[in-house]
Amino acid sequence: TEMAPTVTRSQPNRAYLGCSGTGASCPGCASHKSPSTAKSETYISLSQVLDENGKDVTPRPVYQPDPAAVQSKHSKIFASDTSGGTMSDFYSTTYQTTTNASFAGAFTRSLFGSGSVSIGSQSIMESMSEEIEDPSSKRDNSISLSDVQVKREEVKELIQEEMLDDMVDLYLVESDTLCLLDMPAISVSVDSMEAESVKERNSRYTELCKNRTGNDKYMGRSMQTFNGASKTKEVQSEAITMADAATIANNWDMYDSFCSAGQGEVDLSTDTDKAMSSSSSRMEMEPFVVPSESKPDPELILQSEEFQQHLFVMERIILENIYQPKLAAYRQLPTLEGMVLLKCWNHVTEQLSKQKRLRREESSLDEEGPPTPALERLWSFSCELTTGRNVSSMAWNKRNPDLLAVGYGQFAFKDQKPGLVCCWSLKNPSWPERIFTCQSGVTALDFSASSASMLAVGMHDGTIATYNVQSREKTPVIDSSDCVHKHTSPVWQVRWINHERALSGEDKGEALISVSADGRISKWFLRKGLDCIDLMKLKRTRNDRFKRQVGEKERKSEALISRQAPGLCFDFHPTDSNIYLAGTEEGHIHKCSCSYNEQFLETYQAHKGPLYRITWSPFCSDVFLSCSSDWTIQLWRQDLFTPVLGFMSTQRAVYDVMWSPKWATVFGAVNEGRMEIWDLGASILDPTIVNPASPGVKLTSLLFATETDCVLVGDSDGQVSVYQLKNFTAGEGTQDVSILQPPMRLVKSMSADRRRLGLFWFYIENKNV
Amino acid sequence: QAEVEETLKRIQTHKGVIGTIVVNAEGIPIRTTLDNSTTVQYAGLLHQLTMKARSTVRDIDPQNDLTFLRIRSKKHEIMVAPDKEYMLIVIQNPSE
Repeated sequence: TEMAPTVTRSQPNRAYLGCSGTGASCPGCASHKSPSTAKSETYISLSQVLDENGKDVTPRPVYQPDPAAVQSKHSKIFASDTSGGTMSDFYSTTYQTTTNASFAGAFTRSLFGSGSVSIGSQSIMESMSEEIEDPSSKRDNSISLSDVQVKREEVKELIQEEMLDDMVDLYLVESDTLCLLDMPAISVSVDSMEAESVKERNSRYTELCKNRTGNDKYMGRSMQTFNGASKTKEVQSEAITMADAATIANNWDMYDSFCSAGQGEVDLSTDTDKAMSSSSSRMEMEPFVVPSESKPDPELILQSEEFQQHLFVMERIILENIYQPKLAAYRQLPTLEGMVLLKCWNHVTEQLSKQKRLRREESSLDEEGPPTPALERLWSFSCELTTGRNVSSMAWNKRNPDLLAVGYGQFAFKDQKPGLVCCWSLKNPSWPERIFTCQSGVTALDFSASSASMLAVGMHDGTIATYNVQSREKTPVIDSSDCVHKHTSPVWQVRWINHERALSGEDKGEALISVSADGRISKWFLRKGLDCIDLMKLKRTRNDRFKRQVGEKERKSEALISRQAPGLCFDFHPTDSNIYLAGTEEGHIHKCSCSYNEQFLETYQAHKGPLYRITWSPFCSDVFLSCSSDWTIQLWRQDLFTPVLGFMSTQRAVYDVMWSPKWATVFGAVNEGRMEIWDLGASILDPTIVNPASPGVKLTSLLFATETDCVLVGDSDGQVSVYQLKNFTAGEGTQDVSILQPPMRLVKSMSADRRRLGLFWFYIENKNV
Repeated sequence: QAEVEETLKRIQTHKGVIGTIVVNAEGIPIRTTLDNSTTVQYAGLLHQLTMKARSTVRDIDPQNDLTFLRIRSKKHEIMVAPDKEYMLIVIQNPSE
């Protein structure tokens, strides 16, 4: 029979013969409301099991506490039972019995011995029963409630729709402890209470075993058991993919890991909060595991700082490759012909000295004189921004001799355009490092000596501005356009002068001095903005000595436009910073002092046209040079009022003149058409070296390089060409200019430590190959 | 931004420069003036060489690092500026 357990719902108003458990064991059950009639029922409660027909076929507990009832059953059972048997058969009971016995548990085991056969028969009866009477009679014993013999109807309520919404009470109760597995120990401790009995049993058993062999009472019997059929079960899983990974632990790899991990540990010791630090160190300990970074966007890479820096370096290196021979020549590193890839510096110098010896030997054998000095053009600073602009002034940086500032601005009034200041580095002749645009043409430039990144710029409209070349800003640091006393005419020269021997403390230090065409020489300082005081006002001097040139009117008859004479240039004495010379448009040179701002100390008159440049000799403190548009260059001595020497080579205005910083007798001059290097020791009539300008281009400014043999020439096309003086040695011949004081020595020092080892690799084209 | 572009353009127009390549860390070219196959070849080979060079430098002194690599051959000079995220390569023929 099939036993289909169904859940029953208790109906409180019926006599419900549902629960076979005790009141204690099913507290929620309605059928146990009234206590049992003094029967301690110790059933093991089971849930209801009903078969298809609604009959209760719950396996009942075997133990019946009421012996009287049991007895009555006995007779009945024996009558109808077919499976009752003797004790001996009991052991070879059916499967069902044993299961029922196990249901009943430990209890009933002890009853076996007492010979109650009702166990097996009852259960069999139950399973086979179809009668209702019998169960009811049984129930009389087990149920304490009512003696109403009612048909036990288990209302199997089908779950209907409306019942879904009803509140259902569920009672959760703790069931009795079911013993699923009880493995009693097979050994007991010697100290325990059972030890004696166990020992006795053990000894009895050994006796039994001994007696068994050969004893007729015992007979061996074999049994066969079925072996369980084995069954193979297969399981499938995904293939485990294996990948090989290898790594090499380098020195630096370990160093990196140690550094990043070690940082966490260092923090640990210095942190005050131990808990926090331990957690943080743990976190920092984690990645040693290469962190998988998100791949940076390509555009971001291009914008990054490091990329710009790398580009900068790369450009310099490319240019170094291109310009290497020229730069080497500039820096007076020996360039040897016909040799490829010189690595060792010593090797080079060895070669050089060998060659020099050879050459000297050769030249001593030769009948010819020393090779003629010449200029070799190395390169030129220019770029597309500067083409077409006129180079008006150039200045070296005082601290970094590789940095050159060039100012571009027109001289003439009529074609003014916005000016430009470019800071060029020797390492990049093709593009300036800094570009500053100014609102009007630049006419004067100077770098400061005390703060080497300050560049003072004088412009055609009279403005003076200072720029900081270190920063990338395009605007000046300070501007004089707001100043009340600013210059109203083009500023033709600016200079930073260090007043060391000043009277008052305020005047000490570096000051910016400027001269402008409005006739004032002003000293600028910073006091709530840029402000200036006038060191000197250049007054027009009435001059009876010289006849007026053709074209100029008599001064007496004409009304003066201004009483000031436009100043064009000035130069402070190299040793005494109080004395300076100023040149005017009239052609006069005034010697002035900072202490007197009303009077000139001296006036030197020789030039017939505006003076473009005055410069003191760096070697001889009494001597100065002046050049003007009257085609002449004059050499003066401080105490003589007429020039000592005058130089004229062409009929062109001389724009710029400069003493060589190396040789006492050498100076360079630039006029419109050509550049000349004069060596007074060699000749006082003709320039030693002449370099004509390219056609259509006027040369406008000249600058000697401080530590090398090079000359920079600026022209009206925006190019600054760098020339190297070759085979040039200042004449060691007789100095017939005895007026010039000694020592006019050669200040040529070609010591090895002056050469700058900026380039390690030489790559000289092997022209012969 | 614009300065970077300008500088790149200027580099490409310098005398003797054959090609300029910027590749990212995976070897994908970001900017190049050469054709793709050459670019990929250069990038791949130079990447390995740079790694080896860097490894060498750092093995000797782990606090040191490689900043620039120049390889001069008979025909060209290859200049590599390596970085963690990218690599800048310029090939120049200096004797042109």
